[in-house]
Parts: sequence; structure tokens; C-alpha cells
Amino acid sequence: MAQSSLDVLLKGSSGRNTRGLLRVIILCTIAAAAVASRLFSVIRFESIIHEFDPWFNFRATKYLIENGFYSFWDWFDDRTWHPLGRVTGGTLYPGLMVTSGVIYHILRFLTIPVDIRNVCVLLAPGFSGLTALAMYFLTCEMSTSPSAGLLAAAFMGITPGYISRSVAGSYDNEAIAIFLLVFTFFLWIKAVKNGSIMWGALTALFYGYMVSAWGGYVFITNLIPLHVFVLICMGRYSTRVYISYTTWYALGTLGSMQIPFVGFLPIRNSDHMSALGIFGLLQLVAFAEFVRAYLPGKQFQKLLTAMVLLTVGIAFSGLILLSVTGVIAPWSGRFYSLWDTGYAKVHIPIIASVSEHQPTAWPAFFFDLNFLIWLFPAGVFMCFQKLKDEHVFVVIYSVLASYFAGVMVRLMLTLTPIVCVAAALALSAILDNFLVASSPTPESKAKAATEDPKSLRSTRNPVVGIYSYFSKSVVACSVTLYLLLFVAHCTWVTSNAYSSPSVVLASKLPDGSQFIIDDYREAYYWLRQNTPDNAKIMSWWDYGYQIGGMADRPTLVDNNTWNNTHIATVGKAMSSREEVSYPILRQHDVDYVLVVFGGLLGYSGDDLNKFLWMVRIAEGIWPDEVKERDFFTARGEYRVDEEATPAMKNSLMYKMSYHNYQNLFPPGQAMDRVRGTKLPKESPQLNTLEEAFTSENWIVRLYKVKDLDNLGRDHSNAVAFDKGLKRKRASKKKGPRVLRTE
Amino acid sequence: MRFFTATVLGLLAPSLCAASDLTTPSRLDLPSDFKPPQVFKNTNLVRNTNLEKGFVRETINVVVENIDKQPQTDYYVPFPSEVFDQVGAFEVRDKKVPEQGRFEVDTTEAVSSSGNQYFVVHLPEPLAPKAQITLGISYSVLSALSPLPATIQQSEKQFLTYSFSAYTPSAYTTVTQKTKLKFPSTNVPDYTTTGGLKSGSDPERKGATYTYGPYDTAKLAPGTEYPVSVRYEFTNPVITVNLLERDLEVSQWGGNLATEERYWLRNNGSQLANQFSRVEWTMAAYQKAPSSALRELTYPLQPGSVDPYFIDDIGNVSTSRYRPSKGKNAANLELKPRYPIFGGWNYSFRVGWNNDLSSFLRLAAGVNSDSHVLKVPLIEGPKMAEGIQYERVVVRVVLPEGAHNVRFEIIEGATSNGLPGANQIHASLSSLKTYMDTLGRTTLTLEVDSLTDEARDAKLVVTYTHTMMDALRKPFTIFAGLLTVFVAAWGIGKIDVSIKKR
Repeated sequence: MAQSSLDVLLKGSSGRNTRGLLRVIILCTIAAAAVASRLFSVIRFESIIHEFDPWFNFRATKYLIENGFYSFWDWFDDRTWHPLGRVTGGTLYPGLMVTSGVIYHILRFLTIPVDIRNVCVLLAPGFSGLTALAMYFLTCEMSTSPSAGLLAAAFMGITPGYISRSVAGSYDNEAIAIFLLVFTFFLWIKAVKNGSIMWGALTALFYGYMVSAWGGYVFITNLIPLHVFVLICMGRYSTRVYISYTTWYALGTLGSMQIPFVGFLPIRNSDHMSALGIFGLLQLVAFAEFVRAYLPGKQFQKLLTAMVLLTVGIAFSGLILLSVTGVIAPWSGRFYSLWDTGYAKVHIPIIASVSEHQPTAWPAFFFDLNFLIWLFPAGVFMCFQKLKDEHVFVVIYSVLASYFAGVMVRLMLTLTPIVCVAAALALSAILDNFLVASSPTPESKAKAATEDPKSLRSTRNPVVGIYSYFSKSVVACSVTLYLLLFVAHCTWVTSNAYSSPSVVLASKLPDGSQFIIDDYREAYYWLRQNTPDNAKIMSWWDYGYQIGGMADRPTLVDNNTWNNTHIATVGKAMSSREEVSYPILRQHDVDYVLVVFGGLLGYSGDDLNKFLWMVRIAEGIWPDEVKERDFFTARGEYRVDEEATPAMKNSLMYKMSYHNYQNLFPPGQAMDRVRGTKLPKESPQLNTLEEAFTSENWIVRLYKVKDLDNLGRDHSNAVAFDKGLKRKRASKKKGPRVLRTE
Repeated sequence: MRFFTATVLGLLAPSLCAASDLTTPSRLDLPSDFKPPQVFKNTNLVRNTNLEKGFVRETINVVVENIDKQPQTDYYVPFPSEVFDQVGAFEVRDKKVPEQGRFEVDTTEAVSSSGNQYFVVHLPEPLAPKAQITLGISYSVLSALSPLPATIQQSEKQFLTYSFSAYTPSAYTTVTQKTKLKFPSTNVPDYTTTGGLKSGSDPERKGATYTYGPYDTAKLAPGTEYPVSVRYEFTNPVITVNLLERDLEVSQWGGNLATEERYWLRNNGSQLANQFSRVEWTMAAYQKAPSSALRELTYPLQPGSVDPYFIDDIGNVSTSRYRPSKGKNAANLELKPRYPIFGGWNYSFRVGWNNDLSSFLRLAAGVNSDSHVLKVPLIEGPKMAEGIQYERVVVRVVLPEGAHNVRFEIIEGATSNGLPGANQIHASLSSLKTYMDTLGRTTLTLEVDSLTDEARDAKLVVTYTHTMMDALRKPFTIFAGLLTVFVAAWGIGKIDVSIKKR
């Protein structure tokens, strides 16, 4: 009887309802799992904003909440890039902040007393649940099998390639952008399939949202035209394509131009030209189709050839002309580095110095995608088998994203969605064939064979079926095993690699309890509480956003890196001798200098290890004054001990890192635990700066820039006098002239 | 235990805003040439000044005699107006029968001719001519101690100075008087020695206690001053809380009392002559040397406190430790600020925890079973040997939604415990909308200036009426809200917006 009651549930219209309900439940569970697996850091540490960039987004969100939308839109921030300031409202993608601002206001309207920080921290996990849903819709467009969508949603929910950018607290543009990316593609596929203006307009709407959220929108801007182009080349032009593309392009471009940061880029920048070109091409093709309906074939051929030659010639020369005259901006540096991985290192060290702009190592693919990466080609192959319009899209997306992911670690993120789609297609095909308990019935086989005996063998659908229970169970078991391994791997990677806030460092005590090293916040909070509100802090740009967010003090440079010269100035101040640096510090009103020093603890991400980038970037602007070669010993080693080069020993960075450090050790036994070397006996003498604060584990060291000496001496003399040293005779040998400001 | 005040105000929930102000401290306006009528004489006055903590605590025991022909009730205690606002917890009792409770005290505006401001003590019964009464006047003076030298080296000892008048300021003629100073240690490098005020050495020293006087001042006009200053070692932080906001949130549904306190703290000790040196600090911490920096705050919590947190503007402070209570002992929260707080440095933070409501709230016995009585500590705060001064304390008690008929009273011990009179506490009612409230929760706000951590023992009792209907309002609201959403969704789903031909 149980059998029949099950049948009632599973067959017929109530069966459809049951399956629908089950699907909703499964999707909700997937979304919940996606959210839950991103909460490691909140549970282990606290609800805190991670890393560097999120601190800026968080600060901007707070500004939006406090000052309202319009002042956010016109925000000129005089607390960064001192003394230049930054037109923040016009140089950011506001989508993220506005999204969390809207959520915040809705919750406040319902009088739920939620802190804006918690909204920001949990935004990325929340949106990853939505991404899983969007993934389900996208994959369902690709396959008739209902399991493919669910599998893709599950993969998307927990794959580390996406988790890496969406754990709780990583409040970055990618947090909402990946959802928008996937959902825009879903809408696009829907539009192409139906040829509907509504879906095209929805695509444009979400494309506009995507533009407001992330610079990666350019990927969509180029992928959709490429899809259309390939379709045209394949001879698949149709009114559906025409309607959806023109709707999307016209509305989407207008929408994207509403963002101040984007502005007129869509019609002036080379990155966007392909979309415009395809738009034009589509009109021509449509016209040609129209003409073809009225003209005989021979004449049409001639006309077509002439028209193609003419338009290509005009368009190409126009493009060149506009590029040369500068109406259309050339490709950006980041774009070049996509084609030539060595480009950045030579031309723009600032881009190369960011680790996420490095080429991807091969193991990273397996690390981030696990078994999806080898299901991926299979899925793409299956797309070739069917090759409808939407499958063409998958193929193009796969090829492009695979290339980009290989070039830049960061772009692994754009590869992940399509890998999930393709892998889900492949896996669902396997499961659909192997998980059917009953064998294919001979009747159907006979029927298939007798269907149309006259047609060609290859056009007949061969009957494929698995008969042996053994092979079924082996395949089912191994797939289950792979899936379980995948879950285990994802959890492990998320927990170990992607859930550290990096503001807080955790270590284990011998008894297994957690020990938290909180030096960054210690120093930032000291700055926040005990320095004047407008004290200018100079540090390497990595810490700019954090200082702005946590210490709430003006900074010279930050992670926005829009002004290379300003960064190079800081690099020069750090890498030069005190006599050279001090005037720079005075000219920029610097009150405090912040350095990160990991020598005591063995924290390898410290400033001395980043020092060569500072030198390189400074050298890019002042090749005569700062030379990278000077910081290497004669044998080409980068050393900080007794053998360090004079340029190294006299640099401000070296002095600030090791100032007073030797006193912590018995004489002559000072060790640098990062570089694993013994240090010189004497700690370096700082004249123009004084130690203001050092955090508990010496990770963050703050120095106050001394005011000019009251007696008009230069600082080295003043310090020598205070120490009771005899003043050196003013010898003939004049030192480098010290520039006196003021 | 005695009830010293009961500010009673019945009010109904709908008319919340109509009676939002419960009490407002008002100051008497005096004519500009006002002088207290010379109707009293202080026959004997002993002033005890306690300097053991980071603030000044003074107790004056004075025998007052009525020299007028009429019975008198108002006794004036003068302070210079620049000091007046720093005087906290001013309290007067009959020294003979302290358990009778404190006398009512009013404050006045500054009198421009003398620059004085007065506390006006209202004796409960008029003092007959020639009769005597012994008054015990106690108060604390905040921020009256200044470090000297103002800047010191990181590991140096810290010294504070206190300047006062050897003659106790009084509005009346004083026959004999003396002042006893109690120092935290015997290390008092500088103190004023008076000449010719009395025979023998002045002050007299005995361990950490110095005595100025007794002086015979019957001939001196009231208000005569003899400036004296002392300088003594105080190698402890001078902990000053500029503002303490304390929220108590009563949830009758959850059976929970949530407490959150926000501190804006500052060390008013000597500033660092040079900048902070971590090496030196590490060495000093290793040797456990005394320091003028604030290293740690110990915070006793009520037994049964759970989920404590210690955060500041940028997140959790990972250096705190919580020792839960065992049995009847208080739980201990050990708070270590992110950095040691040296003189002149600030630190703001918040702490919070939860308690089971049942140990603080009960139904009032008797007729009205909807009447609830909540009894909570007025302030808690860290317990430090060097004492803590609070420049301003704002206590908010958030009662359940719909609570009305709110009354409060403050219960204190038999002896003075650092609280000002009832009319010095500013109380107001407001409503706070949170967690899907419709009406908003009734919130009682008490504001007190110039407190010290001696007030830790005082209890705040709040009674209010909260009926079953009030408690059911929220479930109904949420139910109605969800129903609306579903109906709206259903209605919108019914609309056909397609443009196809039908």
C-alpha cells in the first residue's frame, strides 16, 4: 500500500506539486548551507570587517547612512590622499554601499535595531544564497534535466572559488557582483530564448545594477556582444537575438552611464567598443535580412559584399581616427596585463605589487574548484553536443573565463560560475543515466529501432541504457564519494584558507585554546583615541583604508592607488635617508608614521618584506634618487643584518622597524624572526622621528614626526647634544643640504 | 534600609509625552548681593579630607547653634562657583541620628557679589534659638587633584597636589575648627606649614594622616581663607569617566534583563614627558612595578550574569576574561583595555551582559497583579582600589512596551553612600521604538552629575503596570503584518499584466 500512496505523491499533477515543493525546500537548504558555510570567521572571531578594501566600503557605507544619498553622491573626502583629497563619490562603485544602506533602512523601518556593521558583515553570505538561486535558474535554462539546476546551485553555494570573496566580513564589491553577474546572464539567456523585450529590459536593469557594483561589469559588456557575434557568424541571426540585444544595449548603456565613475566610458573607452560595434553590426545584419527578403540572390550577394567592405572600412578607420585623436581612451593598464602577464611588472609596478593580480598557479584551480575542474571540460563538451543558442554562450564564457582565470588569480571568481554550470550539466547527465533503478524497457528499444528504418543510422537516436546493476552502483557510489569529498574539501578550504579576518591574527596556545594577536586594532584604536582628530598618518598604502576605517585619521595614500606619484612620494620617504625624508614629511603635514614590523613575532607580511616594492615604485618616479640596486648587497642579497647595504641601513623604513628593538634582547642577541637573521648590536639612531606607540607584539609601530628644533639646530645635532656627545667640528665636508621647510 | 525618595508620578500610556519630565533639578535664584543671614554659629567643626582615591572625599562634622531669636530652618553651605559643579553626592544628615535619613538640599545659582554658590540645607524641624544640632555633611569633589609635575617619565612616580583653605569655608562664624587629611601613603614630599595660626607645629603628622588645626577662629569673618596645598605620591591612575551611559532593558517575554554600559574614560594623571616606550613598559610589566597607567579594570557582576561582552568602536577587545560566579560569589569580568592608559590618554568602550529577569523583577504583592517591581543596581561599574569618578551618568531603564504608571525610588544604606539628593537627579520618561514595536517602549532616564564609585551600593526600584493585553500586542501586530503581506502578495499575483491578446 505504501507503494501506491507514494505513487499518488509522485505521479500526476500532485506529483508535480510535490516535486516543486521539494525543489523549493532543497533550494532553501542550499541557500542556508551557502550562508552557513561562510560564517566561520564570525563564529570563531567576531562580526568584523575583513582585509583592507572592505574597510573603505564600510566607511563609505557609514558615510551614506549618516549623510544621506545625495551628499554621498557628491562626497569629496579630504581625509584621504592628504593633501589632495579624493572625489570619492565619483570614483567608486556605489552599488554595494547603496544596497546595504537600503537593507539597513528597511530593517530600521521595521524597527529592528541592527547595526550597520552587521549588515555589512553579513551582506556577502546573504547574497551568496541568492547567487545559488540565480545559478539554479541559469542552469535550468541550459538543461532539461531538473537535477542539473539543483546541482549547480549546490556547487555554487559552497565552492571555495566563490567563498574566497564572500565570507562573512569580506564586504567587497564582489560580494554582490557575482550574484548580479549570474543573474544578468540568466536574464540574457532568457531574453535570447524568448526574444522578449521584457527579459531584455530586465537584463539591462540588472546590468545597470552590476555596473554600479563592480568594475568587472566589463566582462558582461564584452561577453554578451561576443555571444551575439558568434551567433551571427554561425548563421543563427534571428529577430530574437536582434530584439534582446538592442534592448539590452540601449537601456543598459544608458543605465550604466548614470554611474558617475563610469560616466561616458561606454562610448569613449576601448573596453566598451565591442558592444557598440556589435550593436552596429546587428543593425546591418538586420537590414541585410530585410533586403534579402526583397532581392534576388545574385544581386543581394553583390550588395552584401559591397556593404560589408564599406562599413568595415568606415568603422575601422573611424575607430583608429578617434583613438588617435584621443576621443576614445586607450586600453587601461590592467587590461594590458590581461594579455601580457609581464606587462605590469615592467610598466606599472603598483599593479604588479598586488598579489591578487599575479598569474594563477595551477594547483589553485584544484584548490578552489576541486572535482568541478575536471567535470568542467566534460560539461562544455556536452554543450557542443546540443549547441543551442544558450550552449554557445556557455562555450564562449568557458573559453574566455578560463583564459582570464589563468592570467590573474582574482579572476578565478568569474570562472567559478561557468565551471559550476558545466560541471552540473556533466554530473546530472551521469546521475540521470545511472541512478534510474529500472532498466530501459525492451519495448521502447524495439520501438526506437522500428521507428524509421529508412533514415540514416547516425540520425537515429541510439538507445543508450545501463542494464547492469553493478555498473550503476559503482558509478553511483563513486559519484557520491566525489561529492562527499567535495563537501569536505570545501569546508576545509573555507575554514582554513578563507576565514581569517587578517585584521586579527589567531594562534593556538599549547593547551589548544585560541590566542588572539590584536596588534593592529590596538594601534589603530590608540590613534583614534589619543591623537588630534586631523593628525595625518603616513603609512604604506596597504594600510590606508584600515587607518581610515579603524583609526579614523587622515592618510596620505590608501588602497585606492589612484595617484601613483603620491604613492611613490611615500615610497621615497620610506626608502630614503632621514635628511631626505624629513622635508618630505614636513611638506605633507605628516604627524605620525606607521610601520608594520613582524620581526618579534615572525609575522611575514610586514613592511620590510614589502620594502622592495616601495623602492621600485619610488624608483619609477625618481630613478636618480632611489635605486633598487642600492638595497641589495654586492652579491645580490636582500639583507637586514650587519651586512646590509648603507642605503638599507640608512633608510627610514629600516630605522623605524628596528628602532629600540635591540634593547628587548640581551646584548648582541637581537633576532629578526621573519628574516631569520641576527641583527646588528646597536639599534639604529632615529633623529627626526620619535617612537609614539608600539603595539604589544611590536607588529604596528607608530612614530611621531618631531617638530623643528627650538634652537634651530638640525635634528641629528640636537639628538647628539641630548645624548651628551661632543659636537662634531663643522668640517669642510658638508653633508647633503637639509631642506628647511617653513 | 530606608527609602529616601519617592518621586511618584502616575501616568497612562497614551499620555506619555504629556508628562515626559518627572523631575528637573532647579536652582534657586538669589539676589546679586545676597549674603546668608547670620543666624547660625558653628561652635565646633571637624573636616575630614580623604585623598586615598583619585578624587577628594570630604566629611564635615559641625555643631551648629542658632544665635537668632527666631527658629531657623535653612543652613547655607558655600562653594566657589568654579568648584560647585564638581561637587557631587552632597549629603547632610543629623550626626546623632544618621538613620533618620538625609535632609532636603537645594542648590542656588551663583551670587555675583561673592562668586559663591550655595547648597541650602533644609532642617526637617526648625532649630529653636540657642539650640544645637550636629550636622554630618559629606560630599566629593571631582577633578580637584592635579598632577605635579604635570609630565613624568614612564616609570616615574606620580604626585598629586590638592589646594584648599585651612579655614573651612563656611557662611557662618566658626569657633574652633580643624582639618584632617588622609593620604594614600606616607610619601608626602611637600605640604604647606602654617605660621602663627596656632601654637606648636602645624600640621601635625601621624603616619599618613595630617591634621591642620585646631584653630580658634571665632574672631575671623566668615569666608576668610588661608590657602594651603599638599603634594603626595599617588602612583595610580586617576580614572575619570567623562560620561557613562547605562542601559537596562527589561524583556518580559524573554525573561531577560540586558545591561549595556558605555564608558568614555580618561586618565587624569601626569602625562608622559616623552613618548610611550614599549620596551620600558614590557620590562615594568614583567617586574609588576606600580604605574600611573591603567592596566586593567576589574568589574564585579551580579551572580548569574551571562554572555558578557567587552567591545569598543572597532570591535571585540580580545583581552578580556570572564570568571563566572560560583555559588553566591559575584562574577568577575577582567577588562584589559587594548593599550595601557597613561595620563591624558582616553579610552572608550562598552560592556554588556544578560541576567535572568526573575531575580530582579517580581509582581507587586496585593491587589493589582499587573503591577511589577524591578530592583536593579543604580550603577555598577568597575571596582578599583584607586576609585573612579563619573562626571556624568545617564541611566536608562527600558521597560516593556505599554508599561505605564511608572514610578521610581532609590534605596540607599543607613550611612552616606555617594548619592546626591533626589532633586539633583534629572528623571524623564520617553518612548523607544525597537524590535518591531508599535507604541514604543516606556523608557525611564535618570541623569546624575558628579558621581563616584561609592554609589555602587545604591539600588534603583522601578514600579510599573504592564497588563496581559500589553504583552500580547506584539504577537498580534506581527500576525497582522504577515497577513497583510500574504494578502498583498496574493492580490498582486492575481493581476494579469500580460499584453497578449486574450
